[in-house]
Formats: sequence, C-alpha cells, structure tokens
Amino acid sequence: MQMRREQVLPALLGFIALLLPTAAFAAIAVPHGNGPAMLTEPTRYAAWLTVAPIVLPIIGSALTLAFRHKIAWQANIAFGAMFLATVSAVFLNIVVLSHGPLLLAAGNWLPPFGIIIAVDVLGALLVLVTCLVGFIGLSYARCDVDHEGASFGFYTFYCLLIAGVCGSFATGDIFNLYVWFEVFLVSSFGMIVFGGERIQMDGAVKYGVLNLIATTIFLIAVGALYGFTGTLNMADIRHVLAETEGAPVVTVGALFVLAFAMKAAAFPLHFWLPASYHTPRIVVGALFAGLLTKVGIYSLMRVMIMLFGDKGTMFLPLIGWVGVATAVLAALGALAQTNLRRLAAFLVISGVGVMMIGIGLDTAEGLTGAIVYAVHSILVMTALFLVIGVVERLTGDADLTIGSNVYARYGLAAGLFLIFGLAVSGLPPFSGFWPKLMLVQASLAGSGALALAGAVGVILSGLLTTIAIGRAWVLVFLRPRDGSENGHVAVGAPRAMAAPLVALAILVVALGLLPTIVIAPAQSGAAGLLDPTVYLQRVQDME
Amino acid sequence: MAFSPDFMLWLALAPFAAALIAPWLVGRIGGRAGWVLALVPAILFVAFASLLPAVANGVTFAYGVEWAPSLGVRYSHFIDGLSLTFALLVTGIGTFIVVYAGGYLSGHGHHGRFLSFLFLFMGSMLGLVVADDLISLFIFYELTSITSFLLIGFDHERSAARRAALQALIVTGSGGLALFAGLVLMRLASGEASVSALLATPDVLREAPAYTAIFVLVCLGAFTKSAQVPFHSWLPNAMEAPTPVSAYLHSATMVKAGVFVLMRFAPVLGDTALWGTVLPLFGGATFLTGVILGIRQTDLKQILAYTTVASLGLLVMLTGIGTEYALAGAVFYLLAHALFKGGLFMVSGAIDHETGTRDITVLGGLITKMPITFLAALLGCLSMAGLPPLVGFVAKEVLYDGLWEVGGVSVATIVAVIGNALMFAIAGAVMLPFLRRPGALPKKPHEAPPALWLGPIVLGGVALGGALLLDDFTHLLVAPMTGAVAGAAVELHPHLIPTGLYPPVILTLVTIGVGLVLFILLSVLRRAVAGLLTAIGWGPDKGFDQVIAGIVRGSVAVTKVVQPGSMQSYVTATFLAIALALLLPLGADGLPDLRYVGSTPEAFYFVILAVAVGGLWIVIRAKTRLIAIVSLGVQGTMVALIFMLYGAPDLSFTQFMVETLSVVILALVMTRLDLKASDHRAGPVATRDGVVAIACGLGFTLLLLNVVQQPFDPRLSEFFLDHAYDIAHGRNVVNVILVDFRALDTLGESAVVMAAGLAILVLIRMVPAVTRRIAAPDPTGTKGEGRA
Amino acid sequence: MSTLIFRTVAPYLSALMILFSVFVLLRGHNEPGGGFIGGLIAASAIAIYGIAYGVETVRRAMYIHPNSLAGFGLLIGALSGVAAIFAGEPLFTGLWWIPVVGGVEIPLSTVMTFDIGVYLVVVGSLSSIALTLEETD
Repeated sequence: MQMRREQVLPALLGFIALLLPTAAFAAIAVPHGNGPAMLTEPTRYAAWLTVAPIVLPIIGSALTLAFRHKIAWQANIAFGAMFLATVSAVFLNIVVLSHGPLLLAAGNWLPPFGIIIAVDVLGALLVLVTCLVGFIGLSYARCDVDHEGASFGFYTFYCLLIAGVCGSFATGDIFNLYVWFEVFLVSSFGMIVFGGERIQMDGAVKYGVLNLIATTIFLIAVGALYGFTGTLNMADIRHVLAETEGAPVVTVGALFVLAFAMKAAAFPLHFWLPASYHTPRIVVGALFAGLLTKVGIYSLMRVMIMLFGDKGTMFLPLIGWVGVATAVLAALGALAQTNLRRLAAFLVISGVGVMMIGIGLDTAEGLTGAIVYAVHSILVMTALFLVIGVVERLTGDADLTIGSNVYARYGLAAGLFLIFGLAVSGLPPFSGFWPKLMLVQASLAGSGALALAGAVGVILSGLLTTIAIGRAWVLVFLRPRDGSENGHVAVGAPRAMAAPLVALAILVVALGLLPTIVIAPAQSGAAGLLDPTVYLQRVQDME
Repeated sequence: MAFSPDFMLWLALAPFAAALIAPWLVGRIGGRAGWVLALVPAILFVAFASLLPAVANGVTFAYGVEWAPSLGVRYSHFIDGLSLTFALLVTGIGTFIVVYAGGYLSGHGHHGRFLSFLFLFMGSMLGLVVADDLISLFIFYELTSITSFLLIGFDHERSAARRAALQALIVTGSGGLALFAGLVLMRLASGEASVSALLATPDVLREAPAYTAIFVLVCLGAFTKSAQVPFHSWLPNAMEAPTPVSAYLHSATMVKAGVFVLMRFAPVLGDTALWGTVLPLFGGATFLTGVILGIRQTDLKQILAYTTVASLGLLVMLTGIGTEYALAGAVFYLLAHALFKGGLFMVSGAIDHETGTRDITVLGGLITKMPITFLAALLGCLSMAGLPPLVGFVAKEVLYDGLWEVGGVSVATIVAVIGNALMFAIAGAVMLPFLRRPGALPKKPHEAPPALWLGPIVLGGVALGGALLLDDFTHLLVAPMTGAVAGAAVELHPHLIPTGLYPPVILTLVTIGVGLVLFILLSVLRRAVAGLLTAIGWGPDKGFDQVIAGIVRGSVAVTKVVQPGSMQSYVTATFLAIALALLLPLGADGLPDLRYVGSTPEAFYFVILAVAVGGLWIVIRAKTRLIAIVSLGVQGTMVALIFMLYGAPDLSFTQFMVETLSVVILALVMTRLDLKASDHRAGPVATRDGVVAIACGLGFTLLLLNVVQQPFDPRLSEFFLDHAYDIAHGRNVVNVILVDFRALDTLGESAVVMAAGLAILVLIRMVPAVTRRIAAPDPTGTKGEGRA
Repeated sequence: MSTLIFRTVAPYLSALMILFSVFVLLRGHNEPGGGFIGGLIAASAIAIYGIAYGVETVRRAMYIHPNSLAGFGLLIGALSGVAAIFAGEPLFTGLWWIPVVGGVEIPLSTVMTFDIGVYLVVVGSLSSIALTLEETD
C-alpha cells in the first residue's frame, strides 16, 4: 500500500513500547485464584488471534484520541493497528480452517458464565475481509482526510468501527454482540456527521434515530431471551432453546429478525440507508456500504439459523420473501437515481435482498451463496463508493445528468468503475457472478413459490443493476462534457488514491477467476451454521 | 504438432493476454502493432486447423481442468465439428480484423485501448464456441456481451454510439440472463454439467418436465443475441461501432453466438414440435424483416447490417426445420455468410476510409480508383447474391434442397425464395459504388492500403476456393459441423454445377429472375418501404426507448413510495413493523396468563408508578419540547427509584446520574436545533401514530408478561453471587460483573462513551472547511435527503 | 447562572466532588461505586466548574484535553485486558498483586486499572460534551 517502511516501524515499536508496562505488571502479579469454574489448561496463545482484530483497532482508536494533537501520528497509528489486525486475521483464518472453531474465554470465565469469543470459519472469513477492507480503505482515507479531519478524530472513529464490526463477527455471546453493535453504531454516527455539512445532519438524524431503534429492539430481544433461557452464551442458548417450551420464542425470534433486517436495510425497513449513505465523506460511505449491512445479514444467519435451530426455520420463508422484495425494489430504486452515490446506496440494499434470498432458501447451498455474496459485497460495494469518490474528485461531479467524459480523460478510473459495476451486477468474470450462480441454482433446485421467486429475484435484480450500471457508464463515463455543470470544482485525485482501488480490483477479479478461495470456507461456514456440532463441542470442552 | 489438451486450454486464453499487452505495444510501435498482434489469432487458427482431419473423421475432443469444483464448474473444451468450425471462423477472420483494425484506426488516440477490447472480445468468443462446461459457456457468452458493449460504444463522443452500446448491452445482457437460467435448469434437469455429457444422453432434456422452460429461456438468449425479431434493432444500431468491429461482430462472431447456442443444443433440445414451430416462425419473420428493411437503406453499413439480420433469421429457420439437408444448408450458409459479410464490411470501411462517405446514392466510379477493393467486393457480392462459383451459391442450392425435401412449395420455401431474391437485389446495390458513374465525393478516392484490402481479398478467395474444392470443403468443415448439429454423422455430396434441372435449380433460377426485377425496381422499392415505415411510425427500436424510459419512470414512481423522504413516515413504518413483530407471533406463543400475580407490591410502588405515568402523560401533552424532555426525566427518575427499592443502589445511582445528565444535555442540544418549539400533528396523523404507539406498548407488555411467567434459570446470577468474592476478590457483585465477569462488554461500552463524546465534539465544532460537493437534487423528489 | 455565591462555592464543590468521585471509584470493587459512577460524578464536577468560571478556565485547569483523557482511559482499559497475555492467561483475566506496606494489604489488580480506565473515559467524554455545549452558548 501507501505505507512506507519508515512509517510501519515506528508504529510497531510504539505498540511494543506500550505493552511493556503491562508486561511488567503481569510479571509481578498473579492471576486470580483457580476455582471450580476456572479453566485449568493453559490457554493457547493462538486463542488470542480471535481477539486481536478487535483489541488492536480499539487500542488504535484509543491511541489516536489520546494523542489527538499529534496530527502526523494519527494515520500512522491507525495504519499500524489495522496492519497488525489484518495480519492476525490472516493467521486466525489459517488456524480456524485447519483446526475448526477457535475460542477464547474472556477473563478465563468458563462458559456460559463469562463472555467467550468464538470464531468459526464464517466468523474468521468475515473478520478477514473486514480487516482487509479496513486496511485498504485507510490508504484511501489518508489521501482524502485533511489535517482538520485528523484532528477531529477521523481515525479514532475509523478504528473503532472496524473493531465493532470484527467484534460482531467474532463474539460467541449474544449480549456482547449487542455491545459491538453499539460500538460500530456510535462510531459510524461520528463518521456520518464528520464534516459538519448541513446535508449530513439530515442524513445523520435519520441514520441515528432509525438505527438506534433497531439496536434497542435487539437489546429488548436479548433481554427477553435471557429472561426465559437464563443465558447469554450462544452455544448455551442453542441448547436451551432446543428444549424450551411455552416461552414466547416466536415473538423474540420476530424481534431479532426485525432488528437484524433493519440493520441490514431490508425492505420495508431500509429507509435509513438511502437517506444517509450519500451524505458523508466518500470513504465513510464506502466503509458503511461494505460493512454495516453485512453485520445485519451475519447476525440473521448466526441467530436465526444457528441459535434458534429448528425454531428459526419458520422465519426463513419470511426472510426469503423480504429478500425478493428488497432485491428487486432496491434495484429499481437504483435505476431511479441520477446521482452515482445514491445509485450505489440502493445497490447496497439490492445486494442485501440477494443475501436474504439465500438465507430464506433454507438449504446449505443457499446459505453458502449468501455467505459468498457477503464477502463479494463487502469488497465491491466499498470499491464502488471509493471509485465514485475518485470520479467526483477528478471531474467535480458524478451524476447521470452531467457527462464527465471520464472514459477519455481518466482511463484508469473509468476501467475500475466498470469492473466494480459489472461485479455488482453479478456479471462474469468478476466476484459477483459465483454467488449469483449458487443462489440461482439453489433456488431452482428447490420447489415452491419462494424457490421460483428467489431465482427470479436474483436474476431480475442483476438485470436491473446491469441496466443501472450501463446507463451510468454511458451517461457519465462515455458522454463528453456538454456544458451543464453543477458548479462543483474538480479537486484532482492524488496518484496514491489509485493504489487501494487497484488492490480492490485485484481482489474482485481474483475472486472471479479463483472462486474456490471463498466458496470453500463459505461452504464450511454454512455447514457450521446448519450443524454447529463442532462449535458446540468446543464450547462444551471448555466447561 | 502433437495435440496437448493443457496447451490448448491455455492457448485459447492467449487473446486475453494480447489484450493486456496491446496498449503497451501500440505505445511502442504504433500502427504496426496490428500486424504483430495478428499473430495471436493466426497461431490459434493454425492450432485449431491441425485438429481438422481428426474431427472430419468423427473424433471429438473433450478436456479441461477444474475451475470451481464445489460447484461442479470446469474450464473445459469440447471440440467437435461445430465448435471447431466456429473456432476457425473466430480466429481466422479475427486475424484479418486485427490487421485491418491496425490500419483503420492507426493514429487514433485510443488505438491501443481499441485493440485491447477487440482481443477481449475475441477471447470471449473463442471461449464460448469451444466451451464444454455449461457454466463456462455462459461466462464467455456474457463476456461477449460486455466486450461488445465496450466496442460498440467506442466512438463515445457520438450519442448514437452510446445509445447503441447501451441497447446492445441491455438486449443481449438480458437475453444472457435468460440463457443463464436455462443453463442452470439444464444442469439441474439432466444432472450433467457439460455439453459433451449432454450430447451423450440426448433425450434426457426433451423428456424433462422443465423442457418448456429450458426451451423458452434458451430461445430468449439466442434470439436476443442473434437479433431475431423483435429484438433485432440493436444490431443495425450497433453499426455505430468502428467498421472493424462491425466486420467482426456481425460476420462470424457476436451475432452468430445465438445461432451457435441453438445449434449447440439442437441435438438435445431440438426435434420437438415446439422447436420445429418456434424457430422457423421467428427465423422466417426475421429473414423477411431483415431484407425488406435492408432495401430501404442507402448507407452501405446499414444495408449490410440488415442483411445480417436477414441471414440470421434464415439460419434460425433452417436450424428449426432441422432435417439433415436443412442443417447442411444452414451450415453452408453460415460459412458463406461469415466469409462474404466479413469481407463486405471491411470493404465498406475501406470505401468510407478513402472517400469519406458510405452513401450508395453518392458513391460511384470506384472500380477504377480502387480496383483491388472492387475485386474483393465482387467476390463478396457474388457469394451474397448466391451466384456461382462461390460458396454462397452452393449454400443456396443445398438449403433449397433441404426445404424442398421437407415440404415442396411450402411457406418456408416461398419465404426463402423471396428473401434470397431481395438479397440478390441488395448485393447488386452494394456493387453500385463501383459500377455507377463517378460523382462528387468528400475525399479524392485512391486505393486503400494493404491492411484494409488484405482481409476481404483473402476471405473472398476462401469463398471461391471452398466452392471450387467443394468436396474437401464439405468433408473437412461442412459435414462434421452438420453432423454435430444433427447429432449424428451425415453424408453430404453437394455439387457446384447442377447435374440436372431439379426443383432447387428451378428455385435458383426463379430467385435470380425475381432478384433482377427487384434490383431494377430498387429505388421504387426503397421509397415504398420508407413510406410504409413512416406510416407505421413505430418500431421495436422506438419500443426499446419506450421500455427503458418506462422502466426508469416506473422506478422513480416506486422509489417515491418506498423512500418518501420524510422522517415521520419512516418512523411510523418502523414502529408499525415493530408492533406487527410483537403482536402477530402471539398467535403462536399465546397470550400471557393474566391471572398471574407476583408478590403483592407495597403501596408506595403504586405511588412511584403513578408519578411515572403522570410524567408520561405530561410528555404526551407537553406544549413545548423542553417540558417534554424534563417530564421524560421524571419518568427515568422513577425507574431509578424502583431500582433502589429492589436493592440495586449501584444501578439506581447510575440511573439517576444518567437521567440528570441526559436531561441537561438534551436541553442544551435543543437550543441548537432549529426545531419547531412544539409538535403539531394533524388529528388523523396523531390518531394513527397513537394507535401504532399503543400497539407497540401493548406488544411489549404482553411480551414481558409472557417472559416473566417463565421460570427463570438462575445459573448465571447464582454463579456471580457465589464467585464474586472467592475468585474475583470483590464484594460488590455489580462492579465485579462490570470489570471482571463481563469486562469485555464494559470495554466496548467505554469505547462507545468515548466515541459519543468525540462525536458530539465533531457535531458541534466541525464546520465545513470548504464547500464540498453536495449530492444533486433527487429526481424522486425525496424531501430533504440531498438538498443542501 | 454565575452568581457570586455560585462562583465562590463552585471551586470547593468541584474539588470535593472530584475527591469523592475518586473515593467512589476505588471502593467500587467491594462497596457500591465503581469507575462508571465515579466518572459521572467527576464529569458533573467539571461541568459545574465550567458553568461558574467559563470553559476556558476549565480547559486550562485540566491541562489535558478531555477527549484525550477519554482516549487514555480506553487505552488503560484495553491494556488492562491485554496484560493477561504475559501471564499466559486469556484476555481480561484479572491479575492481582497484593503488596503489604506497613502491615496493610494493598490489593492492586488489572481489574482496578480497568476500572480506572472506565473512570477516565467517562470523565473525559462527558466533560467534553458538557464543555462543548457550554462553550458555544
């Protein structure tokens, strides 16, 4: 990336220096007594890999804020933290893929009494993609965020957002999941108002209020669930729920579905997303578009499939139908837009619908497709927003009503947009094709109205997206300047901005050409959700 | 050369590599890059040609590697007569197109980019025709749509080119998605993943329940790609592309992809009543439409484009009829068409390049100025008109044979004769620029450079040679391909010189006679057709615009409904959803037992409750927002009291502090928001909101009652009480939970507090430094969202 | 708001409240109290002082920007959790060191430092919010 070696080293050294005092303390202190509830085996250091992608960005965000007056340090600290987090995420995946779910009992408190971080293949995969996108986005942010931005703590929010998202993917405790939801909600709120423009305030109010409602519903559902299961540990909840009778399981399940669908911006609870995503800085919109809705989708999978088990099956058709509506309506919404940012925001939602179709099919194939789609969507939606940001910087506008002639003037930006746009449309040979293939095949293999509607929904949303992207290409990228201007000035894009985009393009093409690198873990992730025996056994082994 | 499957697999990807280096090479050696790069398709041509003898003897090759094993997708080739012939056309004509493009666009600012697109397209087309795996077949199929989108829009400064590109993408792209669904259904219905496996079990699809769906979807894909009525208008519009693109896409490749797909699956999907009806119907209609519309044109490229539409219709019709001779006719005609149309497009480009116009009513006298180009044009037009001694003639003979054999003087036969006669007349029209008297031209014409005439001459030569060496031509190319389409080996013995006065020969004579008459009446016909079209005033091309505009208008209307822009409606919808999520499941969960009473509460609980409810009442009735906020604080304070009474001083104390601070902060925030001082809702709105609110409240109450009726599992609380001191060394259990048992939650929450503090700072302190871009007004008219 | 009485009382009141907040923080492990509530009290103290003497005075008196304080708090909290790695234990395992100074056991632990971190976050953030809001009025 952009990070030069002389910047990486101080960051690394800084981290080590910070750890020294704690090490010194640890050397003279002893752990609290070993009672009946304590783990007796020494914890493998490998288990720390599960929390590294959470704790490192938290430390990064704490450091950036603690040294907020050192403007020059800000980006470097964030880089250091994200770099280390990404490296640990890579190792986390290696360990999880070879050894199965990896667990860490925080505070050494045995489940179900303490909080466990439990990373299975699905969690590890999503953590890795999150860190990758976070790291790549950072190199874009570095070019985009000025001194003022850094001094107001842009990187603090940035790191915390990543920590929250990674925490959501990694945790094995449902209340802890709620906490991470809050972490990324608050930091995303900080990012959405970042800049202080009037239009942002409007978006921020809608974003903040509606998300707060969703998060609160989630909290209420957790409370009610705790009320009749008496536990917060996910593995334990699965055991207890399987035997629960008479409790309001359906109501609580409906609340979970509602909260997560709202976080995922599914129709008809999607309002907050198109109202806000186009307003903040483009790198913020990019990060949101990539990550936030996927946490909702992930939570739907984790909670409704793994935790609720058989009792969650009744919600799946609902999720599927909502998915069909979301996929098609949001793609229509994208067609209705003239501003590229807004268009992209609707495409995020359309993708959410596609993933929900996959969940709703209630088959391993459908779920696998949804997971692969999630990985693809994280990468490509981030990339699409970033490239739109570059176009805005280069030409002053990114709007269908204004020809920008990007094709002739800035070939690289145009090419990148086309790659990401086609990937979003699900066309080969890019990353979006494979999950669509899997979802269409999984739909058509099934029977019933939902199976047919699912296939039609996936294909139709793909077609509408293709039209939207094609129009954008023709009207914005190919069309020469025709005099109509919005009065915005081109500020130019530094060469260095190309690096993160090219990196994302390489990933998108690589996933298109070598889909197995994602399909294989996604299959095992889906299998782990549908039959979490190994996961449960691992948790049991801790006790 | 020994045949090596791995080598072939990688070699077939060579055009993609060429696409990568083309811009660089053009940068280095400029216009000569075309000659160098043409080696890539030339080598591929040789490699595929080396398989000819084996394939002619009935050998097929199927080989490949795993691509996405978990999905059963392979990157694999299937080489039989059909795919081999197509591969030779793609690479052979491709070679000359690359040379031609090198000359045609030499000096163009985006020359390198153009060659790059061209090679991407070539690679996709080659990948399509040799694909064995059904999914890779689709991938390459869709890639041809994408790359042709880039090629057609290449002259991006002209709005017609941009429109044509988008039209091609949308029409062929949507057809592609239909084909996609069809292929997936084929996989599911047959359990096979490849063409070769399907061909080995030919009846499985015809007998599958999904046959009709598969058939319709595959036809949609093929008809859009091969420009069948009513999807044909993208093809003539695509003439906006630079001529090398037209010559390539519309002779041997892109537009034939649909026909290719039909031929590829003919053995497994064909030979049914549906196939035998739908294909000839659409094909025949397209054939006539194409030639009639072609007559009207005066632009050389447009004329050629419409005759391409016509030829595609003929091919689809013959494929639908499906008898051995009909298929042989289709194959002959396909080859002849690829050769003459590729050549003629290149000729039209050369004329345009040298004279500055393509209008046949202006052009004239080129026979002396451009003799070599004339020769090339002559060969092409003879073949197109179906005159000896060219392949086009043989093709016509064979297809008349086929049609006669099926039904004598049938509708199809009459359609074919009329169509071919018109084709004859049009071929004559194409020769006019050479034969007419010279007129005034934008540029002074002279002979085109070799790069521009080499291709047409060679293609014309092949068409001539193929007819002269008819037996070898048939044995090596036509018979194996016909066999592949028919699904069984065929014996073909066509003649260049008729051995007697058979019905087909009579049909040929009729065709030529009618054609001559039509040629003489050409300008009359042109006016007639033009008048007719003006009278109708509507066509599928206009329809396309209307459809797209309609979709966009519809989208705007839908979006106005689903994203209305007002926060009120969002909140109402959200709470309505919450109320439904709470109340509907009661059907399954059941109502709580209302007789349930816990321990009898003391009187002062009711006092606290009354104060809390009173606070709420004031919140609802408050005239100003400030009063509402303070009353909300009263509410919270009462909750704190309840905590206190239940013996949770920590919680209670915290709740007090939080309530106090939030009232203060909210009040401070209020002073900076320019909200209306109070909230005026119209009566019906207030009623609606009230109903939703009460429904939510009722739902939450019932949920809570339901929950507390369940026996509580005290495992966790007992554990915390038991071990807070002996292990965690703390007597305050609440604190131990916060800082030890669930320290990770607390870490997250303190991060939340930290971020919230910073967010407030940003919210209040950060002012926009420079006027940054503001999203443009929203066409859906969503209020506020996007207005500066 | 800034009456003479208030201005006279405010420094003492604030100082007392901060002292009390530290007391609440430190006793928190065994008696009602803790970092969160302690932080709330301290933040209120700072807010009061700010109302009485103006935000500039408070900012000068605090030496460190309140948001930075919150940052340090989170850092201390996170490092208290990470410290366990050096003892070969998982994240957030409480480490205790109980030196005896003059016959009195003084229990020091990562749990305590974690609580101090929480305290600092709450003080920093809430006083930042209060001061920011006061400032622009």
